[in-house]
Amino acid sequence: MNKKVFLCEPTADGILTGVFDAWASGLGHENVRLETEGDWEPELFVSWEAVPTDSQKAERVARALRRELGQACWEQIFRAALSDGADRADAVYRTVVLGLSEARLSAAGKKGAGAAAALVLEKLQDPHVCRVWELARRTGREAHHYYGFLRFRELAGGILFAEIRPRARVLPLIGDHFADRYPAENFLISDLAHSVRLLHRAGYPWVLMQGAAPDAAAAGAVSGQEEEYRRLWQTFLDAVAIQERSSPKLRDSLLPKRYRPYMAERL
Amino acid sequence: MDLMEKLKILADAAKYDVSCTSSGVDRTGNGKDMGNSLAKGICHSFSADGRCVSLLKILFTNACVFDCRYCQNRASNDVPRVSFTPEEVCRLTMEFYRRNYVEGLFLSSGVVKSPAYTMELLCRTLKMLRTEYRFGGYIHVKAIPGAPAELIEQAGFLADRMSVNLELPTAEGLRRLAPHKTRRSILLPMRQITDRREENREELALYRHAPAFVPAGQSTQMIIGASGESDLQIVGTAEALYRNYRLKRVFYSAFVRVNRDSALPVLPGGPPLLREHRLYQADWLLRFYGFSAGELLSEKHPNLNVLLDPKCDWAVSHMENFPVEVNRADYGTLLRVPGIGPASARRIVAARRYGPLRFEDLKKMGVVLKRALYFITCGGRMLYPVRLDEESVTRNLCAVRERLPFEALGYRQQSLFADYGVRVEEQF
Repeated sequence: MNKKVFLCEPTADGILTGVFDAWASGLGHENVRLETEGDWEPELFVSWEAVPTDSQKAERVARALRRELGQACWEQIFRAALSDGADRADAVYRTVVLGLSEARLSAAGKKGAGAAAALVLEKLQDPHVCRVWELARRTGREAHHYYGFLRFRELAGGILFAEIRPRARVLPLIGDHFADRYPAENFLISDLAHSVRLLHRAGYPWVLMQGAAPDAAAAGAVSGQEEEYRRLWQTFLDAVAIQERSSPKLRDSLLPKRYRPYMAERL
Repeated sequence: MDLMEKLKILADAAKYDVSCTSSGVDRTGNGKDMGNSLAKGICHSFSADGRCVSLLKILFTNACVFDCRYCQNRASNDVPRVSFTPEEVCRLTMEFYRRNYVEGLFLSSGVVKSPAYTMELLCRTLKMLRTEYRFGGYIHVKAIPGAPAELIEQAGFLADRMSVNLELPTAEGLRRLAPHKTRRSILLPMRQITDRREENREELALYRHAPAFVPAGQSTQMIIGASGESDLQIVGTAEALYRNYRLKRVFYSAFVRVNRDSALPVLPGGPPLLREHRLYQADWLLRFYGFSAGELLSEKHPNLNVLLDPKCDWAVSHMENFPVEVNRADYGTLLRVPGIGPASARRIVAARRYGPLRFEDLKKMGVVLKRALYFITCGGRMLYPVRLDEESVTRNLCAVRERLPFEALGYRQQSLFADYGVRVEEQF
């Protein structure tokens, strides 16, 4: 029998919906495969089905994973789903299948439910687990880079505005950090690569919005002081470098060039 | 003078302080004011020399009554002297932080009038930043040697990290190059901060909301290659500081000759960057790998090997301990294998409970096989049949291209002389 492909939307919710549908199809885990739109071309002799994203199904999968595998494990799987790995959907699916089956086993045995399965991501000999771990690590690193490399500029209305072009869909991973750091600010972070925006209003939780960035004119209208602080920052950066130790290659490896177009630095 | 000009001078004057870490303390925001802190630290940018920029690192003033011979701000140098006001420091910190340029402030200063007067200025600035501007981000402040204990204490409750620079690894070097500082005047505030942190730990255990004293800990730095110490002395000093003063970090700063002074060495190869790099590697071995200074260096071998990193160097001279079986060796033993670090050792110990590991698995887990292959077996077999005597393993390891944090082409040979050669001549 040929494998059946479940074609998910390339978002975390899309992939989790795919996990739900593939499991619920009852075809047997070995007979299904998950792919993501944009990463997969239809193949000959393979039947496929597009999975319409359903946030309720995604939430049910997420809840089950949190309960059975624990928070830390769920976060890893979530990060892998947010990544840009073309094979992420299937790796996530296989890891979920393995994790939940081990959770059942340990629940039936003497250990408490989830005790052993929470550690499923330590089983790096398994190629799918290893892949999820790799992708999660890559996404986590990129998110951590944006903690540092993201730059806000103050718009005329006092709103802070930042643009990023990440490989992974990192916005859900950086929202808490910036909301905690700037509770009294209104800020907007625009993910240009995936057309998603993160909006934070002072005193409210942050929210994600689909759609293109605000128009260029509005985003370009910076406040009166903005240029001065940007120049002060550039002056500072030039001044702290020690000429005798100059090492542009080292800088290039630590601050990759793809981040630079959206930074205030003059590099 | 305008702010731009001041910032240029006072950032330039602060740049030889190496520490730019924003790590050591997790603090969530209070929900109203700006600022939080992450224990693992965040790098915000990198300067042209490849050093991380995490904090707004500035001197409050570059006016100084001390005359340390290696320092560009020394009293006898003819340089323009400027000073910030506390308001200017606060405004810069707040506006830089708000744009996510930095994690916080690193405030140091030249000694203006007296250590007490200077420390009071620093305290006043920090107090303004914390209470009037309500800044909740990271603050690193210098304790000025010779400042009264009350002011050090006050600063410690406003800052996250404090540091007093040891400057030179030996008391003798300090006497020669920093006539206004003594080993005692440096160690005194260091001891005070260590002891007060201990007390504070008990206070925090009793009252969770008691104010925290230097919660991110204390650090220091030593200048490398200005006064003829051996690596054994330097690493020994660092080990003593970690043990006796519970320092979080010791930084090493390759000497840069900014003053023409007969007491300072001339280093034709530039600052001893390779030596500095080896010292950092040895420092990591002390802090995370359970090594002691005595294992890495001895009176007979007082300097680190230039050609091999200190962990490889240790391993090849202890071939009797190897190879170890990856599927059985305990964590501490794995940690001694070149190419295996704390993270990959943890992953190995966790993963092998589910079944045996193969060399491919190790590679994916982050083990550097080109180094580790001489020291491990997987299921009783080595990766390749190799000769395991000290000489051939050393030769093979030297052939592995090492990633160095500076332009390395042709540098290694040059550095042999620049970093070590000059001092060898002095000994004769």
